[in-house]
Amino acid sequence: MTLKSVLSGVACAALCLSAVSPGVVVAAEEKPCLIAGWQNPASICAAHTKTIAATCFICHGPNGKSIGAVPSLAGQDKAYLAEAMRDFKSGKRESTVMKKYALGYSDSEYDDLAAYFAAIK
Amino acid sequence: MTINRRSFLKYSGASLAATLAPQLAFAMAGKPHVVVVGAGFGGATCAKYLRMWDPNIQVTLIEPNAQFYSCPMSNWVIGGMRTMDDIVKSYANLPGYGIKMVQDTAVGVDANKRVVTTGKGQKISYDRLVLAPGIEFMTDQIEGFAEGEAAGKVLHAWKAGPQTLALRKQLEAMPDGGVFVIASPPPPGRCVSGPYERASLVAQYFKRNKPKSKIIMLDGHFDVVSKGPMFKAAWKKLYPGMIDHRPYNLVTKVDHKSMIVTSEFEDVKADVINIVPKQRAGAICASAGVRTDTAGVWCPVNGVTYEAPNVPFVHILGDSVASNMPKSAHVSNNQAKICAAALVEMFNGREPNPYPVIGSTSYSATSDETSGPIAVVMRYDPDKEAYIRQPGGGAADLSDELNFAYNLSWFENIWADTFG
Ligand SMILES: Cc1cc2nc3c(=O)[nH]c(=O)nc-3n(C[C@H](O)[C@H](O)[C@H](O)COP(=O)(O)OP(=O)(O)OC[C@H]3O[C@@H](n4cnc5c(N)ncnc54)[C@H](O)[C@@H]3O)c2cc1C
Repeated sequence: MTLKSVLSGVACAALCLSAVSPGVVVAAEEKPCLIAGWQNPASICAAHTKTIAATCFICHGPNGKSIGAVPSLAGQDKAYLAEAMRDFKSGKRESTVMKKYALGYSDSEYDDLAAYFAAIK
Repeated sequence: MTINRRSFLKYSGASLAATLAPQLAFAMAGKPHVVVVGAGFGGATCAKYLRMWDPNIQVTLIEPNAQFYSCPMSNWVIGGMRTMDDIVKSYANLPGYGIKMVQDTAVGVDANKRVVTTGKGQKISYDRLVLAPGIEFMTDQIEGFAEGEAAGKVLHAWKAGPQTLALRKQLEAMPDGGVFVIASPPPPGRCVSGPYERASLVAQYFKRNKPKSKIIMLDGHFDVVSKGPMFKAAWKKLYPGMIDHRPYNLVTKVDHKSMIVTSEFEDVKADVINIVPKQRAGAICASAGVRTDTAGVWCPVNGVTYEAPNVPFVHILGDSVASNMPKSAHVSNNQAKICAAALVEMFNGREPNPYPVIGSTSYSATSDETSGPIAVVMRYDPDKEAYIRQPGGGAADLSDELNFAYNLSWFENIWADTFG
């Protein structure tokens, strides 16, 4: 799926596309994805994951590399991170603030965040 | 496939056309230019993430100060737990991201020509302008405040810097048995829990050094509105009888010669006076024509891009924003990333993420070994065009040592993320 096919049929498509600078590379294999129950073009999900991950940096350190008592997320096992969010949500794992965070994000966001942080070297 | 067409259309109609069309010329000519005003938690974060996420974007950051004094942890200085050296943050790392730093004050915005004017007379043109100037104080709402402040007898210490140190010095010089009056305005304002943290840490100092002294809080709020149970429990346990919290007690007048603070209900004699006046968005927001909420004090924004609804190409971040979010460093840093990500998408001809999420955690210390958090997640709902608080958020009932460690960690990580 290309950016073009995602945007075509939308009222401003011509305008949006005309503003794409020549250097922009559009991934060939973009799949639609879900955020908060809505289907979206892949570029939106990528931006969404990047931005919510950056929210985590405030406590867990820039790029998930903490310089304090709060644990780092960068490079941790993907399944472990997603599981931790689920356990915070259910209360199986105790937390100070993480249950409140887990309740504010969806299951698919746990997975996306886990993949994002697991991939950081 | 279905995309969320409704919100996309709502968002992209006239506004996306207006925002993208003029960029085209620029994008072809070379690199888009974003000018950021204010290198605090909102502005510095935005400048840094714009450069990290799209090195094609040119970023100029205007800030008059050579270094940043952090409000977070400044109560720890006032309480004697830390020194000014611990809260000063260098801007030295920011040029390394390719940010052009301009040491100057933005004094005017021509939103039609898209030019910012500085105090030294520079004219800097922009494709997008990001205003993150923090707050200015409405000192005229308190009779005698300006005179008292000029005389050095009435301090707010609500922007970290010289007043932080001056307040600490006054508390050190105060004799045992003295009265410290701290007054705070009703919301919305910068850091709602800050006055209660400040009272706690000054109480700790008094308890150890001047045990006959008292703290009188004249609170414009109806109660200890942030982390109330936690603060009240700590005060009762750690500083019994020392903090006299008087709600619904908005200060209207201060006389620095007689050292009397007057509220709507009473006159209080003080030895050290700390009044936090009501606040509004920084003055540059008025110049840009974006300080346009109903009271004319804060700046409404589009929750996806942080652009002003009435002035295209001007975005606002941090405490200056009119919203239901807490006015905190945490939220300012978070908004900055949402804005930066939206600008990157738009400069590259893509729709910005219509579902931004704000996470807000705030720690307050109640002593030099205990703190407690409040946390809430707010998600933007494109249909309601508002950030909605997600269920489950809230404050801890008690402060403890584990959260003190996390509080310290929070400072280190947000400083590194913003300025490092
Ligand atoms: C005592 C106290 C304790 C606090 N503790 C916490 C805490 O623990 N956690 C938390 O999250 N928040 C805390 N806060 C709140 C936090 O400090 C603010 O919410 C945050 O600083 C707001 O960020 P900002 O970017 O909007 O403004 P600021 O961080 O104030 O930055 C604004 C910058 O803009 C510059 N500027 C202003 N006007 C211009 C102009 N015209 N041209 C150029 N530059 C300009 C200023 O010099 C300044 O550097 C605390 C606040 C106080 C007062």
